[in-house]
Amino acid sequence: MSGRLFSQTLRWQRVRLAIVVLAGIGWGMLIPVFYNAFSTVMRDLANSGAFPRELMSLGSGSLFSLPGAITLGLQHPLAIGMLGIFAVGASATAISGERARGTLEVLLARPISRLALYLSILAALLMTVLVVFAAILGGMIGGSAIQGLTDELDLGQLPLVILNGFGLWAAFTTFGLAASVTFDRPGPAIGLSLAYLAVNYFLEILGSLWLDAAWTQDYSLFHHFNPGAILSGEAVMVDLGIVFVAALVPVVYALVVFPRRDLAAPA
Amino acid sequence: MQDMPSTSAISTQGLTKHYGSVQALSGLTLDVRQGEIFGFLGPNGSGKSTTIRTLLGFLHATSGEASVLGMDVARESVEIRRLTGYLPGGIALYDSLTGEQVLDYLVDMQGREPYRRGELCQRLELSASVLKRKVRDYSRGMRQKIGVVQALQHDPELAILDEPTEGLDPLMQQAFYRILDDLRREGRTVFFSSHVLSEVERLCDRVAIIRAGHLMAIHDVTELLARRRRRVTLRWRGVAPDPTSLPGLEDAEVDGNRMIGTLSGEVAGFVRAIASPNLEDLTIEPASLEEAFLEYYAAEETPA
Repeated sequence: MSGRLFSQTLRWQRVRLAIVVLAGIGWGMLIPVFYNAFSTVMRDLANSGAFPRELMSLGSGSLFSLPGAITLGLQHPLAIGMLGIFAVGASATAISGERARGTLEVLLARPISRLALYLSILAALLMTVLVVFAAILGGMIGGSAIQGLTDELDLGQLPLVILNGFGLWAAFTTFGLAASVTFDRPGPAIGLSLAYLAVNYFLEILGSLWLDAAWTQDYSLFHHFNPGAILSGEAVMVDLGIVFVAALVPVVYALVVFPRRDLAAPA
Repeated sequence: MQDMPSTSAISTQGLTKHYGSVQALSGLTLDVRQGEIFGFLGPNGSGKSTTIRTLLGFLHATSGEASVLGMDVARESVEIRRLTGYLPGGIALYDSLTGEQVLDYLVDMQGREPYRRGELCQRLELSASVLKRKVRDYSRGMRQKIGVVQALQHDPELAILDEPTEGLDPLMQQAFYRILDDLRREGRTVFFSSHVLSEVERLCDRVAIIRAGHLMAIHDVTELLARRRRRVTLRWRGVAPDPTSLPGLEDAEVDGNRMIGTLSGEVAGFVRAIASPNLEDLTIEPASLEEAFLEYYAAEETPA
């Protein structure tokens, strides 16, 4: 691994990262506020039958409990967008973008193997994803503390939430980077990575809204990340295994494919 | 030309590269000696860049072998690149960085000190204020200068330069030629591709000519220049002599006291033969490598 490439990759992302971290903290802090303000109303609405109950627990989350609200906040499109900037956008363009611009061959003219290049970029991207995830979660814990709600959370389980969340987003990051080493242009790499994320999200939402299709959730990586359950002391260790295997498979693929690819001259 | 050590800086044996059904490189066998400036000449799309990219490990050869500085390109590519400086054709740089940041980044990645950067920047007129500007504000020529500096700043044992003078103005081209002259004096090896014949003639010890992926020939430049034909015009006082009596003169046309023809091979015998008090004027047009090149392609239909 190249420390210089690792730090330079982080440097490319620093402005974006700072903005997203601030937004993530802000979003995270709002979730306990929403919970505090609306959970009773939402519960009454759900019980009144005005809305299908499924709508109140999208993606395994709900506003009926703080852990449920945290799940909802972490699986909300806003949070997915913030994390997706790095897990999909930055990873899918990391190598294909350098290749399309022509800078990859300048970089690979240095004494660095493709393996080291890949691992350095992967490590930097995983760090950005971890930082964003930690910022959102940190905002939620901070917001809960401000609202005086921390006794509703089993904070001892936080490392497990971070590990599970990191595993989920690492899976999207490694997929994006695998797409990035596969294509010569960023467009197809971004498209494929975005489609992977969207399909996973769709399966999770479909299964939670339509009980007959509940089985589809098992095929969604989002379903294997349930911070609400972990923070309620109901962690399912197999979920951890699933997200980390999903993160590892694209790494193995990239390590096999990337060193063997021909890097023809950029167009 | 100075004596060259016999060790190969670059050696290829039957190097072949196919892209599907397209044959980009076909059985390329060549040796570049250490300490020489070697020109790799051919029209666009002839396989020059494919050769270079294969030598640097960007492409995997379909068949054949290649070594650089005694190391196998397939197995020891990283070590080869440690000792090599590379200027890609039409270099792309990081637009969001300044010229100085680009050079710092790339030399850091190289893992060597930028021993030559100061001297190179001075010779290519890259001032400190220019280096502080973002690359996105650079002209094509400025980018090319940065490309030259990044390739040579760490004083590589071997420089591989793909169309190095593209985008440089004539003054900077001359400065670049002098840099290469110095590298040659210091015993560095330079392998550069070009389709600009005049710079190959000016710089190279030897030249390989490649066309459609096939190696057509490898020549000493001096030998190639000596072989080529020259256009000769002579004017005599009185009647011109019989052109068949002049060694090496071909296609001669006599018009009164004026004779025009083509001279090939050694000049000395021809000059001795025409030496006469009646010779009023003599013009031997300086033949360019371009003419030799075109003659070569006209004559050679099959690869070497």
